[in-house]
Formats: sequence, structure tokens, C-alpha cells
Amino acid sequence: MRETPNFTGWQATVLHREDGNTEKLIRQLRLLGIHATLQWAPLSAAALPDLVIVDADQGWDDLLPWNGETPACPVVALLGSEAPGRIAWALGQGAGAIIAKPIATSAVYPALVMAVSIHQERKATAEKLQYLEERVRLRPLVHAAVEKLQAARGIDEESAYAILRNCAMRRRLPMEQIAAFILAGAEPLPEAG
Amino acid sequence: MNDALKIGILFSTTGPYGSMGRDARDGADFAMAEYAGVEGLAIEPVFFDPHADLAAYLDGARHLLRAGCRHIVGTITSAARKEVIPLVEKHDSLLWYMCPYEGFEANENVIYVGGCPNQHLLPLFEHLIPRYGARPYLVGANYVWGWEMNRLARELITNAGGEVLGERYLPLEETAVERIVAEIAQRRPSFILNNLIGPSSYAFLEAIKALGNRDPAFRAENCPVVSCDLMECELDDIAAGAAAGQLCAASYFDSIATPENAAFKARVTERHGAERRVSSVFASAYTAVRLCVDAIVAAGDDEPDAVRRELYNRSWPTLFGALSIDRETNHAALPFHLGRINADNGFDVVASRPPLAADPYLTGRNRQALPRLRVVS
Repeated sequence: MRETPNFTGWQATVLHREDGNTEKLIRQLRLLGIHATLQWAPLSAAALPDLVIVDADQGWDDLLPWNGETPACPVVALLGSEAPGRIAWALGQGAGAIIAKPIATSAVYPALVMAVSIHQERKATAEKLQYLEERVRLRPLVHAAVEKLQAARGIDEESAYAILRNCAMRRRLPMEQIAAFILAGAEPLPEAG
Repeated sequence: MNDALKIGILFSTTGPYGSMGRDARDGADFAMAEYAGVEGLAIEPVFFDPHADLAAYLDGARHLLRAGCRHIVGTITSAARKEVIPLVEKHDSLLWYMCPYEGFEANENVIYVGGCPNQHLLPLFEHLIPRYGARPYLVGANYVWGWEMNRLARELITNAGGEVLGERYLPLEETAVERIVAEIAQRRPSFILNNLIGPSSYAFLEAIKALGNRDPAFRAENCPVVSCDLMECELDDIAAGAAAGQLCAASYFDSIATPENAAFKARVTERHGAERRVSSVFASAYTAVRLCVDAIVAAGDDEPDAVRRELYNRSWPTLFGALSIDRETNHAALPFHLGRINADNGFDVVASRPPLAADPYLTGRNRQALPRLRVVS
């Protein structure tokens, strides 16, 4: 890790009943520069913090607003139980790290770093996946545009594809988009080279 | 207090950092001796020596706690500290840790009297980069102190727009430094950050001295070797004059010119003779014991919570000047001094800063998290 993780100025919501654990946790969060609020009620999707720390021993399905979906912010689970059902619940809420109860203060910073890193990694993967899905979905357009170019220019498939690809590279647009322009007749057919 | 107040002292006097352990133990012992004459105060130090065996630290801490100590002054390495902490937490006692370390810890059951990187490495680099440049070579002992100090150094250098010319690690007690020194000779860094400890560090300093004799570019005044953990008690273990001119950051040097230090050194001379130089680890162990006992006396109880409260509530007159402990981090605010090793095996203080509050997680609670250092030269 090159950059020292820094949480100064972050807002965290701790979803847990107040007890000795939460007191210790919030003290540790404060010295990491994090402003934490404690609540034992569902988190509103309208006012999301930078980070959620949730009691996976007692948590229920509507506690977090992204039930089963991708979490909107990094999630850390607090867990005393070893029951597979509770671990599954934590995973289901998108937890990227677990802090075991009773809380050892030395577990807090590593868990935050890990959960934030996993959240960012998941987000990047999801974005990439969405981009690739879009491209796969639009693949027939590329195929159709290649056929149109072949017919118009009397060239083989390979040359038509190269024209399309060069055009996309020059204009810094995805091939699928250039293909859509061509098929829609929105612009003249690109020349070779 | 009718029963004697028992304070545990946990240092290894043998092994790779044995000279530091012996000095730390002497410092703690010296503080205990000063209390011996105080009427109405019976203190019984309980010593344990784990002989640099990591597993023995846990046994040692257990032994001290069972003997009735609620306060343990000790451990030098982070590995040993981490070994002891769970037991100290479990018994709700306090560990008084007094060595500079790599930061990223703030435990309620530990009082940190040594410094963390914003108190040693950051001011050190703020001093070095404008004077020598931002192209250092990093060496370290192959464990968490070396790794983390060098990781931070790399981050500081990157932020300063500089470049790390090399980064190498040696196992503890390894003294074969030739390959590293050959690489340094070839890459020509602007300075060398030395996070080696004990014999490795001594061998490295001697080899760099030899390199400087062959090539003036590597003399201390041109390409200094800088450390954050080298101290007076180690200089006699280094070949005569080999380390002269090199730099070290610390919160205390024997040569610091304050009335408190002059008085302290006079008392040390009475006990240990005029030849004895006070090292930062001696001074820190002494200070940790003094703080611990004085806070217990002020609280009227050795119960950790009461002691902590008492500790936070005021600033304490110490060898480091007026010292305060932050209630959120349990860390002491500490002065920064840069020492240059002289021909007499002591340190000449070349730069100082007033006490800096600790920022163990580098949150920037007191200043910019990681300053973007400027290269002037």
C-alpha cells in the first residue's frame, strides 16, 4: 500500500445498541478523525454516511437500505457469533470486513482499510462489468456496420472492421457507438486509413 | 498505601537490541532508586528478562501480573509490545511503552512515551529534503519497524516529487552489508535512511565510513546516514569514529542543554560515574517509571482508570520538558531533536523543535497529514 489510508473528516454510522463495545469503537473512530453516530434503527437511503458499521449479531434485513443489492458505501460487520447464518447475513449486507466482538481497538483501523478497499474494488469491477455488458449487447451493431461498409466499399470483412476500428480510435469513441452512427446514417461512411 | 507498590519492568538485556534493553533497565532502576528515599512511599520493582525470546514476553507479562503488578514498563520492539498487549488488556492493567515506534496503534491500556512517525520521521524528512535532496536510499531490519518506516519514507518522498533509489532489508543480526553498500555506491543517493537495528546497523555504518574514505561523495557531510533509533549506549559498539558525522532523530540526547538535564546527569554521575552517557532509552525508561509512579501517587490508587485520568489532567515536569499525555491517543507530546554523532561518541544537537502532539494514525489531527515537502536544493 503506497498511500497511508486517512479517514479524517469521514462520517460513520454505527448500527448497534449502545454498550461497552460501541463506546470503545466510537472512541477509536474519533481518534482516526471519523465522526460517528450511533443508532439502532434502519439507515435512511437519503442520508448515507461514508461508512457503515453494523451489528451482524442482531441486525435484520431492513436495517440497511440496499437489502441484497450492492452497498452504496463501505460496510464493516461487528460479529460475536460464529453462526454461519450471521456470517451469511454480514456478507449479504456487503460487509467487506469483520470486527470481532468484544472489540479489540487494534482491529478497527485494519477493518476500515480493508472494507473501504474492497468496496472500491467491487465498485470498479461492477463499472467494468457494466461497460463490457453494454459492449457485448451492442456487438450485433458492429457486425451490421461492418456488413454495410463491406457492401458500400466492396471490401472484405477484415478491411471493413479495420476501418471501423481506426475511426473509433481516432475519435476516441467505442466502436459500438461509431457503428450506431453509421447504421443510423447520421454521418458519411468513414474512409479507410 | 500500606503494601509496597509493585511495578513490573520487562526488558531483554541480551540479543540484538540487548544494549538498549540494558540501558532501559538501568533507567528504570535509576528511577526506582530515586524513590527509595521518599518517606511513605514503598515501591517494589519486579524485573523480568525475556532474553529476546518473543514467546517469553508473554510469560514475563503473566509473571509480573501474577506478582501483583498492575503497571508494566517495558518492551522495546513492536513485536514484543503486541505480544504483551492482549494480556495487559485482559487484566485491565497498563503497559508503559517508551520506545520510538512506527505508529498505527492507540490502545487504551498502553501509555506511549516513545514517539511515533509524526514525531520523528516527518520532522526528520522536513529537515533533510531541503538540505540534501529527495533521492534517498532506504535500508531496514526485516520486520515491521523497518518495513513501515520505509513505506512512510517512500510516501513522503513521492509527495515531495523525489525518488527512492533503492530499498533493502537485512535479517536481524545480519552483518553482511556489502551488497547493499555496493548498490548505494552505484546509485548515489542524496541521503540514506537507516532503519537497521543493533549489529546490522553498526556493520552498515562502518561499511559506509569505508565507502566515504574511498569516495568523498559518501562522507557524512555529503550523504548522511540518518536513523531514528540509534543512541548513545550503542555508539561504543561501533568501530571508533565510524559513525561520526551521521545523523539521528530522538526526543532526548545526553547533550541537551536544559537545567533539568544537567541536574539529572549530575545524579546519574553519582550513581554510574562520569563516563556514563545517558541514552534516549535510559531517559525514556526513567521518564516512564517517574510518570507512572507520580500518577499513581497523585491518584492515590494504582487502578488504571484512575491513573489515566490523573495523567491526562495536567502536564508533568520531565526530562523532556513539560510533558502531556493526550487522552484520545494515550501518546505523549514529545520534542524533536536531530543529533549529529561527534568524534567523542556523543551527539551534537543540530536542530530542535518544541513538543509535537502524537498523531499515531497520521490523520493530520494537528497538521497536514503527510506534508508535501519541498526540495529547495
